[in-house]
Amino acid sequence: MKEDILEISDIDYSPYQESTQLARYIKGYPRSFTRNPSQPLIRRPVTLTERTGPIGLEERLGITAEDISRATAGGPRALGQYIAVTGRIVDEDGAPLAGAMIETWQANAAGKYIHEFDRHEAPIDPNFTGLGRFVTDVEGRYRFLSIKPGAYPVTESDWWWRPPHIHFSIFGPSWMNRFVTQIFFPGEPLNEIDLLLNAVQDPEARDRLIFESTPTTVGVVNFLTFRRDFVLRGKQRTPALD
Amino acid sequence: MFTSPYGTIGPFFPPEFVTGCEDLTSFQGKQAKGQHILLTGRVVEEGDRPILNAIVEIWQPDANGVFRHSLDPRARDADPGFFGWGRARTDAEGRYTFRTVIPGVSRSDSVDAPRCPHLNLMILAIGLTRRLTTSVFFSERPESVHDPVLDCIADPAGRARLFARSNNSRNGAEGLPVYSFDIVTRGSYETPFFID
Repeated sequence: MKEDILEISDIDYSPYQESTQLARYIKGYPRSFTRNPSQPLIRRPVTLTERTGPIGLEERLGITAEDISRATAGGPRALGQYIAVTGRIVDEDGAPLAGAMIETWQANAAGKYIHEFDRHEAPIDPNFTGLGRFVTDVEGRYRFLSIKPGAYPVTESDWWWRPPHIHFSIFGPSWMNRFVTQIFFPGEPLNEIDLLLNAVQDPEARDRLIFESTPTTVGVVNFLTFRRDFVLRGKQRTPALD
Repeated sequence: MFTSPYGTIGPFFPPEFVTGCEDLTSFQGKQAKGQHILLTGRVVEEGDRPILNAIVEIWQPDANGVFRHSLDPRARDADPGFFGWGRARTDAEGRYTFRTVIPGVSRSDSVDAPRCPHLNLMILAIGLTRRLTTSVFFSERPESVHDPVLDCIADPAGRARLFARSNNSRNGAEGLPVYSFDIVTRGSYETPFFID
């Protein structure tokens, strides 16, 4: 445990601004109507139990190799377009969140997950698990190598194909900023019709769900680099005026 | 800077990320102190239908009420056999099960009252574009509990639903006391959830 993170007790965990978030109820996404609470959510004080959260998760869960484009270290690379994914995790003040655990999961290049509930008839790639676990450095940065995921159909829908995306699950230092999302690739035609990506009202906020393309690294090992920074909840409390 | 948009966990959260996380009773080869229990329940949606494949996560202090976190003034005394975080996945009946310890009384600088023993619980599932958060309280006399979070719930029936129920049964060979906590995300006996 780090002794020096401190002063988090002065952090303000205001509720999410609705316009920057996905709608809770989404037309064409039936389970959003049967699962979201009908009663108003309750405001509560934020005490020690919410300000703390699991830190040092790598001691409990371990991490994967930075290069998840192979199922085993030194093994053959998975089929698909080799990519690097990078970014920073910061709070609402822009302060880096060091030591944050990131879990990622994604489909293979054919749009197939290794999961009992994936019924899409696409091939599994024996050289790809789609799983990653990483920890941010002191600047809040993360980086991993993978392959670009494929699109896949939502099996109970007659029109909806999910655009290529990578799932992120992030643990900030507090239970209040435990965070999960999906990040999409720029320029994908399916982005324009995806029910989830387009459930964000504010266009600037919607852009936060899409990777930025950055220049490729030139050389024998060449890959497209996609960048996505994340802003997790929490900012320094403004001193009261009294 | 505004916060990044939350997203749904979707149907394909890797089972590999759940395996082993249901058991909080040991850490780095050491056994957690305190009363070990099974905490189990069903997660249902409207119409009392089970939610299959929901991910449930918990965060709690150890048996003495200490969080393994630098913000807890008592962190130095945290139980080395207890990490405090767990994750489970619901089955076809909507059932999740954790093996954990009964949390102790935690203290906070930001509110006067000590907290009634509790753990924090969140649910992620298809159809939820954000997590749902609630707390699970432990007390033998729920009616007489005063707690700064519990007291935010005006409806007595909703408040009562946030207590884990001990059914005085013990689980099989292990003989662990069983506590149940069912979660209704939407419906007539809806669980109270907090603003996030």
